[in-house]
Amino acid sequence: MDGALNDLLSKSEATSAFVLDKGGFLITQCGDTRRFDTTTLGALAAAMYAATQGIASLVSEINFSSVYQQGENFSILVQNVDEHCLLVIIFKAQISVGAVKYYALTTLTLVAKQLQTAQARSPEEGLDLSALNIADTADLFRKKQA
Amino acid sequence: MAIINQATKELQVKIVYYGPAMCGKTTNLVKVHENIQTAREKGKLVSLATSSDRTLFFDFLPIEAVSIKGFKTKFQLYTVPGQVIYNTTRQLVLRGVDGIVFVADSQYEKMAENVESISNLEDNLRTLKMNLADIPYVVQYNKRDLPNVAPVDYMEFLLNNREIQVPSFSATAHQCEGVFETLNMITRMLLHKFINESTRKTA
Repeated sequence: MDGALNDLLSKSEATSAFVLDKGGFLITQCGDTRRFDTTTLGALAAAMYAATQGIASLVSEINFSSVYQQGENFSILVQNVDEHCLLVIIFKAQISVGAVKYYALTTLTLVAKQLQTAQARSPEEGLDLSALNIADTADLFRKKQA
Repeated sequence: MAIINQATKELQVKIVYYGPAMCGKTTNLVKVHENIQTAREKGKLVSLATSSDRTLFFDFLPIEAVSIKGFKTKFQLYTVPGQVIYNTTRQLVLRGVDGIVFVADSQYEKMAENVESISNLEDNLRTLKMNLADIPYVVQYNKRDLPNVAPVDYMEFLLNNREIQVPSFSATAHQCEGVFETLNMITRMLLHKFINESTRKTA
């Protein structure tokens, strides 16, 4: 998946790309991600996309498959990958959104295919989380002492 | 739905604070953000609010619990807008929820709103094909410092009277009382749920 994102970044000259779960969780990220708070960006981009889907249903559209926001320095494109995931691309404002969309088409297919492969790998097999099984989780988050 | 990233050994979980308008959902997040003791960089609290500081879409606070044997547990805390008109927005925020904190306003005159809100929560979960009985949740009786509060037993009868009673906490969120107790209980319930599920699957 990272290979597909890196390929997109090099061809489109976009700054960074993320794959998100529609609940707002970041699955993977590539490119120059240090300058952005990617956790918050993921949550907000997923919410923005979800709101757009709400608007789509109000105007009798099945869905709007992408959301584009143009800025003065950076623009952002959020595209639907599949039922569960989104692709977010951040690129410099002077880059044409058409070019980014064009290169993203291949990426969307590759990412969707990779997600399908991952899901089909062994859907019944869980991850052993027993390492987390500490006796007392009451103090997972501690309050600062006054 | 929680994300378990096998490559990075991370568990990412979504917790939503739900409740009627002005019950203190945002205050809970603000107090967690202000008072959390963390060695790591603290996540930013993002509020999508109106000019009069009422939640318009949601508040969002990412927090990371201590790593346990190399396993990172990341929690994303959200609030919903409490005002009745924002129901579509509440449904959007509830998508993919793993755990819920129901914040109730303890004032007598707010009881009808509390009951309406919990019933609205159940309706909204149903539209997302989820069921409150299957989701870990806790109840917080907030604003206990006010003079006109209903007794906790009465609120338990109204809001926590199902087949299985869930943990409940009295709180005064603006003084940070009961805030961390509530958060720790819901995270504990969620971790136990995931541990049990993973043990069943790997067995």
